[in-house]
Amino acid sequence: MPEGILCNKTPVDTVEQLQALLADKSGKQYYEEMKLLDVDTPALWATIQKSLKSRLRTWLEICARCGMCADSCFFYLANDRDPTQVPSYKIQSTLGDMVRRKGKVDNAFMHYAMDTAWSRCTCCNRCGMYCPFGIDMGVMFSYLRGLLFSQGFVPWELKIGSGMHRIYRAQMDVTTDDWVETCGWMCEEYEEDWPGLEFPVDKPNADIIYTVNAREVKHYPEDLAEAAILFHLAGENWTVPSEGWEETSLAMFAGDWVGCKKQVESVYAAMERLKPKRMVVTECGHAYRATVIEGPYWAGLKTGQTPVESFHYVEWVAEALRTGKLKIDPAKRIKEPVTYQDSCNYIRNAGLRECAREIMSYIAEDFREMRPCGEHNFCCGGGGGLNGIGRYREQRNVGLKVKRDQILATGAKLVVSPCHNCWDAIRDLEEIYHIGIRWSFLKPLLLKMVIVPEHLRPEE
Amino acid sequence: MYEFVTGPLAWIAFSVFFFGLIWRFVWYIRGLNWQLDRVSYGHHTGYGVKGAARSIVSWLIPYGTHSWRFYSGFTLLVFVFHIGIIITPIFLLGHNLLLEERWGFRLPALPDPVADTLTVAMMIAALFIMLRRIALPEVRILTTFYDIALLLIVVTPFFTGFLAYHQIGDYSFWLIAHILSGEIMLIAVPLTKLSHALLFFLSRAQIGMDYGIKRGGMKSQGLPW
Amino acid sequence: MFKKILFATSASPVCDNAAKVAFDLELKWDARLIVFHVLGIPTHGFSPFVTDVRTGEREQVDPDYVDWVKEEMRNTYADLLKDTENVTLEAAVGVPHREILRKARDEDVDMIVMGAHTRPEDIGASRFRNVVGSTMQKVAKGARCPVVIISRPCTTCWKLFSNIVVGIDLSKASGAAFLWAARLAREVDANLHIFHAVDLAGTEVGQIKSQEEIEAHIATVRGKIENLYLPQLKGYEKVTVMVREGVPYVEILKQARERQADLIVMAHHTREIDPEQALLGSTVEQVVLRSACPVASVNRLDKTVDTSA
Repeated sequence: MPEGILCNKTPVDTVEQLQALLADKSGKQYYEEMKLLDVDTPALWATIQKSLKSRLRTWLEICARCGMCADSCFFYLANDRDPTQVPSYKIQSTLGDMVRRKGKVDNAFMHYAMDTAWSRCTCCNRCGMYCPFGIDMGVMFSYLRGLLFSQGFVPWELKIGSGMHRIYRAQMDVTTDDWVETCGWMCEEYEEDWPGLEFPVDKPNADIIYTVNAREVKHYPEDLAEAAILFHLAGENWTVPSEGWEETSLAMFAGDWVGCKKQVESVYAAMERLKPKRMVVTECGHAYRATVIEGPYWAGLKTGQTPVESFHYVEWVAEALRTGKLKIDPAKRIKEPVTYQDSCNYIRNAGLRECAREIMSYIAEDFREMRPCGEHNFCCGGGGGLNGIGRYREQRNVGLKVKRDQILATGAKLVVSPCHNCWDAIRDLEEIYHIGIRWSFLKPLLLKMVIVPEHLRPEE
Repeated sequence: MYEFVTGPLAWIAFSVFFFGLIWRFVWYIRGLNWQLDRVSYGHHTGYGVKGAARSIVSWLIPYGTHSWRFYSGFTLLVFVFHIGIIITPIFLLGHNLLLEERWGFRLPALPDPVADTLTVAMMIAALFIMLRRIALPEVRILTTFYDIALLLIVVTPFFTGFLAYHQIGDYSFWLIAHILSGEIMLIAVPLTKLSHALLFFLSRAQIGMDYGIKRGGMKSQGLPW
Repeated sequence: MFKKILFATSASPVCDNAAKVAFDLELKWDARLIVFHVLGIPTHGFSPFVTDVRTGEREQVDPDYVDWVKEEMRNTYADLLKDTENVTLEAAVGVPHREILRKARDEDVDMIVMGAHTRPEDIGASRFRNVVGSTMQKVAKGARCPVVIISRPCTTCWKLFSNIVVGIDLSKASGAAFLWAARLAREVDANLHIFHAVDLAGTEVGQIKSQEEIEAHIATVRGKIENLYLPQLKGYEKVTVMVREGVPYVEILKQARERQADLIVMAHHTREIDPEQALLGSTVEQVVLRSACPVASVNRLDKTVDTSA
């Protein structure tokens, strides 16, 4: 069978395809079909020739095989220094071999490449910092994911995820109506406690356009309310777009570059339409990476910049605290030891380390860094889509050990984690390893300690 | 034989070396693609240059990066090895006398004991690099015959040159072996991954620009390599 | 008065008492009952996994799984479902309190009925306690309609309620609680006991009030109740007013006991929603945990007046 009914080379573009995939529990049939999926080797080689340019070719070629990337990889450390977990080995035995064989690879090879690309690399890009030649294997794995996606060798959940983006321009089936309705609902629910609270949708020329993660809309709308309250307290002139509000990109995890382009273009269209001064993204790492760092390139914006200047939530919070828009009640600062999970996507890959430190200096009395930290921090263990792939649950759980030990070493029982994926990974590591920690986004912490200006307090 | 290896073969070797590297350079630069690489090379030049410079300089300084400091022993081997390879042949008295004889100019020369020390240290470093390849599982799994062959190609000119200069054994044999192996090395540089002699700088500059322009360079002091 | 009722259940024995009341309301009030179970807590980031609320296990949700959960609900409530005709069973994935509030809003229900966890013998109750306990708190806080929380067997049918205690604190929210209680009392012809506790714990530390001061305060409150609240009853006679000093939840519980209350009605308008403190965080929680009769939390005016008439 060259192509399966569920597992094939066609991306998901219709609701029917999506429903069929969703109905296949845990992707059982999908993975069965994958075992028989043919590799279109001429197409694969043609794609490689077209897109594998000097940067990646050089990386593959000049790798000195020195092994200096080994200890940079948390999977290598978590798996008792298994040599097959050395980043160089992982990329050379997959993408490297694929190129050396001029694309003439079989189904078994593609399975191996898929398992490696999604369960042994989270594209955290840490290895690239440790290679003397600057070979960034995270970038190469991301490229490999694209090749695998084009051939239909992609984990079931990510095929669905990229389809969601293609159909709904969101990672979940949240429609424009659902989204606008949720904004109204949250406003209604919280306006008694916060007099004057607004949730402006599609307000033109606002100072800030706020964009979110669809999971907040679908399951955790309090997060939206908290954001609204904090903007309200800070006196910001803000809005959300009715369309183009979704920042995340499972298509990026999947290697579906067409889907990625469609997704970010919806956000950029909202910027063009509403002409805000700047954009602020919710506490999500990969969303910021996708829409702000990588997105302009997918959309073909030559300057590599989003149409309006874009900020991660931590940048906004740091600024609000610095300028006094938000004031922290000194008595309510976090007294206990607390640590901060540096998300690869906005710390290492977007340079926001200092914002995080600045925030912690305002809200915590006993802030303890993980070691290593900042740009050198380890991935939480669930990045790159790994948290969400059932097939690789075991591998993911093993990988969490590195973060567990880092957190334990700080002695902190509270982990501030302004990234949805890190948040999940830390919750899961607590559920698996029971180390007695708590974890939180910034918004609920801030709401507990921020000073509410007199005129914004509810009348008793 | 001596005439051949110092005559036509030398011309060929040096031509391959220089033209090969020029071709590598052109090929690399031409192959950069702002959209595929997702780095807007043509914009934000200041950030790009700063990122590239930081990236190259940090890694040229011994123990200048987290990675160099993490693998402190191996870093020592790497720097001794590379300093030996680059400094010794260029500033060797014998080579410079030859240069003056043929081209009429010369570079300052290293005193003999220094040249000898560099050579021996480089060979010892090479030996340990080889042993490390075999001893450490995480490096062994990466090692191929190609890597070992390249190491031999690089070490042989130094080994034979050392023997020839100190007249250990048959001088003329070791001299010819030295010249020949040196030429093989020169030819190998652009054709194999020894091309990292040039590509190290290009690749480092590229990743430096990547971080400098796109991945945070505009919002931070630059990546602490 | 109750046309549409949402019974939010964890589909486990801890909700049995609440189930009896909910089904009884359906029967006696001829209301439409939606039995609603939220089956899995999703992750914040990208993941198809949810945590099953009952077992604590990780599950991947698909239509089959939801159907299976509904089948389980049907079995759990088989006895109660026998005599009913206007009941629908529904299940959803999400964070329990959020989905309950969403459902209540979508269906515009007149009342939410929930269970609470006080049966220590129930295995695993402590595990859900955190989730479900704070669920109750958050639903009570966010809902626009009254939320009735039932933790112990309720022996009296609602139609036969004879004593309703309404705890008020003169806030806007407790005004809503009062109106709803009055409406219910009139409807079932019950005695309405209006009660206010002067919170002694709330006074500043070291500043002990004299008996005179307290009594003066009590008199003022009594005056306010008589002026502001009683006129709203429009002549309904079966009313008592009682003001006492003490810790509010203790005093309300005492009053309920003395009056042999069938239902306690109060407002829940605390702004503290920190989940860590949620379970025992407010007067409502304390009352719910200890009350022998159902407790209704009413915060908003939405369902307190009869709009159909």
